[in-house]
Amino acid sequence: MDFILAGFIEAIRLLFSGDDQTWSAVGATLKASSGSMAASLTIGVPLGFALGYFQFPAKRQLRLLVDTALALPTVFIGLVVYAFISNRGPLGEMGLLFTLTGIAIGQTILALPVVIALSATAVESMDRHLRALLISLGASRRQLLFSSLWEVRYGVLAAGLTAYGRVMTEVGISMMVGGNIKWHTRTITTAIALETGKGMFSTGIALGLVLIAIAFGVNVCLSFLRKK
Amino acid sequence: MTVSQPIYRIENLVHRYNSDPVLAVDRLDIEPASIMGLVGPNGSGKSTLLKLMAFIFRPTQGRILFDGKSALPFDSSVRFLVTLLTQDPYLMKRTVFKNIAYGLKVRGNRENWTRPVHDALAMVGLDPDIFAHRQWDQLSGGEAQRVALAARLVLKPRVLLLDEPTASVDAASSELIRAASLRARSEWGTTLVIASHDREWLYDVCDEVIHLFKGTPTGAGRSNMVFGPWVPEENGLYSKLIGDGIRFTVSAPPNADATAFIDPAVIRILNSGEASTAENITFVDGTVIRIASEKQSGNLFADVRAGSLTLVVRVDESHLAAMTLHRGWPVTLAYRPDSIRWL
Repeated sequence: MDFILAGFIEAIRLLFSGDDQTWSAVGATLKASSGSMAASLTIGVPLGFALGYFQFPAKRQLRLLVDTALALPTVFIGLVVYAFISNRGPLGEMGLLFTLTGIAIGQTILALPVVIALSATAVESMDRHLRALLISLGASRRQLLFSSLWEVRYGVLAAGLTAYGRVMTEVGISMMVGGNIKWHTRTITTAIALETGKGMFSTGIALGLVLIAIAFGVNVCLSFLRKK
Repeated sequence: MTVSQPIYRIENLVHRYNSDPVLAVDRLDIEPASIMGLVGPNGSGKSTLLKLMAFIFRPTQGRILFDGKSALPFDSSVRFLVTLLTQDPYLMKRTVFKNIAYGLKVRGNRENWTRPVHDALAMVGLDPDIFAHRQWDQLSGGEAQRVALAARLVLKPRVLLLDEPTASVDAASSELIRAASLRARSEWGTTLVIASHDREWLYDVCDEVIHLFKGTPTGAGRSNMVFGPWVPEENGLYSKLIGDGIRFTVSAPPNADATAFIDPAVIRILNSGEASTAENITFVDGTVIRIASEKQSGNLFADVRAGSLTLVVRVDESHLAAMTLHRGWPVTLAYRPDSIRWL
């Protein structure tokens, strides 16, 4: 049990002593996850809105596909992205393998189904009277779309937070696509895997606590925004 | 001499949900600055007609002319002129002020919204200083209904469509909604179309009341509808139990669940116990609960409670000379079962 307590003490020391390796991993994690969240929200929210709002042929089949993609294993995504961006892959020339951009691409694929499915659910649960209200107050088609989206903002926010949670905590993509290169593509989760493999449990726990602290900070910021 | 053009002309309108027809109106004209009421049981098509008139969706068939021109949802000719208050008022997830100002915002109105929003709140009896900055979820049902009405009144619409505006509010809110609606007509010449189950409220407010039944207008003015099921009696007539030992008797209905339509003019009101033995006349005892005169015709009507039914009876002056008629007075109603129409 001592190593768990030691982990907590080590976590506080790592965070407040400005440990270079820890802060490098934090930086890599934040860069990759910010890129993937920006991409998945930009693509996923409009797609999720369209999936929940409009009626079109094959809507149910498409929804089934998105829901299935929620369960995509991170190692499988890592494997597919690796295959595409490795030297022998179709995107090999872009030099994305073992880069944070490569990790962000994989994480975008991981987050996208979460953002689409949860945004679509938020839109589907929108009050059926909203459309009548907006049209009867004089909204144009464009105003109808944007006002409807604004009405489901808390649902979309929840979709983003859930996706962010998945992206921050995944190991498979970061490990396979990023290669866990020190000072470069080592994220908090790959660092935890490495430290645990080396038997350095307390460092692993410390890094885990850092991860939770970041997630907590993000949630506090969003909850502040929600109140506003 | 110029003849005013109806603000609405509905022609050969049919609307279906999936393939089920819910509304069929051959022709309906509504005059500008008039107040028209719609009555009918649940599922009679009132809300659908109002939504079509608000251009929220397009009819399956037929057309709706607004100011003489055929109009469809989002048309610029109607978008800023017609507004609907739905039965369950929905408020957007924002403050009362922003809810009311939304219609001004979509109209591109860049002026200061404080004055019109506060005026609209005052019009529905809500203190702007208390309510303007409340969130949508900090209101009671009656307050939410009045805020929703204020969001329409702030637009000074040419047409205000109200779907069951008093269904879920107390008497005081109902009176405030009534007063605000009437003020809209007197101040801005707004045309009102109001659907309600509250017949008395409608008869008080409206210039004309149309009856809808199974999606079709069945008549105008005061009338009685009695729903089945009907059970056969020994004398070839049918009846429905409407109270403790009280039966409402009718001629043979087309089916056991048919709806009887009784013109108030075919029911005669008599002093209690004045039943005669005349053939083909049926009697039912009741109590006068209200006497009112019709707005346009000036005709006098009595509402008589008989068991669980309230029947409207037209009272002509010869009746009045022969009897005392006031609220709470016991009376006997006489009618010929074969004078009943079936819907």
